[in-house]
Amino acid sequence: MTRHLSLRNKATMGIILTGIIASLIIYDISTPSKSMVDPEPGRLLAQNGRGVIPKCSACHGVNGEGDFKNGIPRLAGLDIGYIEKQLEDFARDPLQTRAYLEPIAKDYTKTPRTYGDLTVFTPGTRTHTLMNKLAKLLTRQDRQNLAVYYSQLKFVAQPIGHDFETLERGEDLALRGKPEYGLPACISCHGPKGEGYGALFPSLAGQPASYIKKQITDWQIGKRDNDNLALMRNIANQLTDGDKEHIAAYYSNQTYSVNTD
Amino acid sequence: MRFIYTSIWLILLILFIAGKNQADTIGQSLDPLEVRPSLVTPRLSLPTKLTQVHVISPGEYFVPPMVANIPDDKFGDMVRLGRNIFVNTQKYASRYVRNGLNCSSCHLQEGRKPHAGPIWAAYGMYPMYRQKKRTVVTYQERIQDCFIYSLDGIAPTLDTPEMKALVSYSKWLSKGAPVGVALPGRGYPHVKRSQDLDPKRGKIVYETRCMMCHSKNGQGQKNTNGKGYMFPPVWGNDSYNKGAGMQRIETLAQFVKGNMPLGAGFTLSDQEALDVAMYIWLQDRPKSPKMTFIMDFFYPNMQH
Repeated sequence: MTRHLSLRNKATMGIILTGIIASLIIYDISTPSKSMVDPEPGRLLAQNGRGVIPKCSACHGVNGEGDFKNGIPRLAGLDIGYIEKQLEDFARDPLQTRAYLEPIAKDYTKTPRTYGDLTVFTPGTRTHTLMNKLAKLLTRQDRQNLAVYYSQLKFVAQPIGHDFETLERGEDLALRGKPEYGLPACISCHGPKGEGYGALFPSLAGQPASYIKKQITDWQIGKRDNDNLALMRNIANQLTDGDKEHIAAYYSNQTYSVNTD
Repeated sequence: MRFIYTSIWLILLILFIAGKNQADTIGQSLDPLEVRPSLVTPRLSLPTKLTQVHVISPGEYFVPPMVANIPDDKFGDMVRLGRNIFVNTQKYASRYVRNGLNCSSCHLQEGRKPHAGPIWAAYGMYPMYRQKKRTVVTYQERIQDCFIYSLDGIAPTLDTPEMKALVSYSKWLSKGAPVGVALPGRGYPHVKRSQDLDPKRGKIVYETRCMMCHSKNGQGQKNTNGKGYMFPPVWGNDSYNKGAGMQRIETLAQFVKGNMPLGAGFTLSDQEALDVAMYIWLQDRPKSPKMTFIMDFFYPNMQH
């Protein structure tokens, strides 16, 4: 009797195991992996351009590594959703942006503005003389292709040295913020090492120091305005010029690599 | 005669009940949200008055010493260990923690931020009487409570290096702060309740203000390396248990009011903070270790 039972148990176990393995295989086939998204159309556009569209690699580097001397940002290894969103925000004409009222905020990636008892939502805008013109030439598919291509490139940062005090102040600001003023730390959203988190929080490590400084300045003067819930605008408004220097120095000093394994 | 009295009483009773029902229905029909269902959602999603932002003047809050100034001696080593435990409890005190939180998930910015339970304001106040324990508790016992309820784990005993390190860090952080004085920014800010709490409004607040980081089902978001949380879970198995202080609606609302969304504290109105606190209070989370079966059955969300 016991032998019968154990045999039956073995058979059941076998069936269950086969089922698990089969479902794993099916799951593996059905889930699209990162490598299955084809970077080729994006690569062609980035390297060669098309018609009046110049090639991206002219400024952003052949491998999307950016230009650290001139403060042109690195694109390699950035989040796919982040690149696509930035291109969309570049393509939106800042002059024609008009505030409009929604009965309920359906797109929560837009920036809320509080005016009395009305919340006005403006679509995110990002002002740059050259990129505004270029992004308008791209189709939606182009933006997706470029995002796919650049998010898969590998990048290794070259840490840049600074004096000790600057780095120490930058670290204090990056890890702890200014608690007595309610200013949160950079790491609380941009990742423990500034590597970025998801499509909303871009990486700070591995970006040129002058680019980071310029972006914070753009937020302060309103040229860049495409953050969620106005989080970054609140933070940028509290940063002094010295803070910008320290933060940029600290993050350009970090070792950082992406897509290298 | 007796029959007549009884019938009069009965009629009065029926009239009273009917009148009460009528009053209830009148009250409901006057409620603008019930009358105009098409306006329910937009009115709830919009703030009804100008948001008052808390402006901080320099010198308003105590400023703890800088991490770079931790002394280079044995005590300094203990302070550094304490800071590591505080910031990364999952790694440095993993044997006492069962959920996915760190000390700094509630005591924001390494226990330094005013209105987020700052350590420098708490250290000098102990030993003190706690209503929750109905006795006078020391600072060490208070830390043990944090481990039992907020970290859903077990209490480190007083002779463990973890406890010594945390007390050392707290003492170093409150260097120069007066003892026994309720400093400004201590605990959480005050929240005033003006109308009944509504989890439906709280859900809308959660989805517009909280969801982008704490995710739709409140489970937070993990770090990219898979260890620990980038954005801590607000309910679910990896969050604080039902015995934690945050399970009190008022305490959670106070925390939300003062600190959330991150970097935009004091932008939610008191009512929004209370509503979203009630919405989070209604969700499922680990059981309280103190909770008995009967209390659990009748008051599933009660903090006690």
